[in-house]
Amino acid sequence: MWMLLAAVLGSPAALESRQADRASVARIARGDQSAFAELYDRHVRLVYSLALRILQNGADAEDIVQEVFAQVWAQAGRYDASRGAVAAWMLTLTRSRAIDKLRAKRARPEAAADASAAESVVDLAAAQDLDLLSAEQVTRLQRALKELPDAQRTALELAYYEDLTHVEVAARLGEPLGTVKTRIRQAVMKLREALAE
Amino acid sequence: MGGVKDDDRPELQPPILQGLGQAVPQVDPPLALRARVLGSVAGAPTARSVPTRSAPWLLATAASLVLAAGLAIYTSQLRGRVGALESDLRDARARATAAEQRAIDAQQAVAGTRITVAVLTAPDVARIDLAGQAPAAPGAAARAFWSRSRGMVFTASNLPALPPGRVYQLWVVTAQPAPISAGLLTPDAQGSVNETFNTPSDIPQPVALAVTIEPAGGVRSPTGERYLVGTVVGRPA
Repeated sequence: MWMLLAAVLGSPAALESRQADRASVARIARGDQSAFAELYDRHVRLVYSLALRILQNGADAEDIVQEVFAQVWAQAGRYDASRGAVAAWMLTLTRSRAIDKLRAKRARPEAAADASAAESVVDLAAAQDLDLLSAEQVTRLQRALKELPDAQRTALELAYYEDLTHVEVAARLGEPLGTVKTRIRQAVMKLREALAE
Repeated sequence: MGGVKDDDRPELQPPILQGLGQAVPQVDPPLALRARVLGSVAGAPTARSVPTRSAPWLLATAASLVLAAGLAIYTSQLRGRVGALESDLRDARARATAAEQRAIDAQQAVAGTRITVAVLTAPDVARIDLAGQAPAAPGAAARAFWSRSRGMVFTASNLPALPPGRVYQLWVVTAQPAPISAGLLTPDAQGSVNETFNTPSDIPQPVALAVTIEPAGGVRSPTGERYLVGTVVGRPA
């Protein structure tokens, strides 16, 4: 709960940015293309970087950027400000669409057809109360990730950036299921400690 | 073996989830993506034309009432048709994707035209004429219109065909020492290029433009032979 509050409240600069985003979305809902361009300029780097990390392909990442921003344009009028920060919403969309595309590329038709599977890791109702982490929190998280033992970091990254289940991670790494579950749990605990500092 | 799907995924709680999304190495997207994304929504329906919240609720309620009434009668028939429907759905999705792509292409063509007109009629437009450089492309020519407020339109003709693994890259020369990359160019079969670019407000006014040949994917600063070079001709008043 404390971590959630800390993430939500953030710094004054973050608050200003959240307000600017909400103002942009309100204008976008009225068809304001310059507001759309402002939102693009503020957040395209975040969106593109996550898509690129997941898909490991520039052209595919560009497609995701276009899809995410097109969805923002189309749904701006329905965006509920009480759900949380616009940028956090866009990152959630980015991850979900990028994972869908990753699965489609691997020709797993049952997964590609079931769009909700991409959201099963994330409790969207909870995620929607969130804001972006501050730059300082991201730095702490990046340092904590670097300091994780390789085995823990690899397992965590497979779970997050490729949305693999425990069983799939174990199969990919050739490790026992119990070992993989323990590693991911330990990695998550260390990251939580880093954010709680 | 039974078909119980393993969906046991690690519980990644929201702050960690959010953080992992932000913690990736931050990379700038290509400049040209901006025009593509902005152009793709120009003219597209906004939230204004989406039905209000109440309408979907009413439709959903009506639909569920009809469904409940009919369900008892049609259940057994529906079961038998599920397999065929799933196949139809996959086909429909594939067709929709192709149709969507055609619509996106058409939107981009219209958006490109709109941006061109906007740039050409901008009060701050400057023209740059580029000449083909010997020995690389003496017959090539290009013209660019630059507007700080509305973007850049670039057209070229008679560019030599690119060898495999190479691309043309457009550079903006300013008062700063290092040329700034505007983006990559790929001519069509006739050697023509027709592109629009955004003009970030933090780039100083261009003095000249140049096109070089570079490895596919582009480079941070020019390394290859110059194919087109030109200086600003008409300046805004």
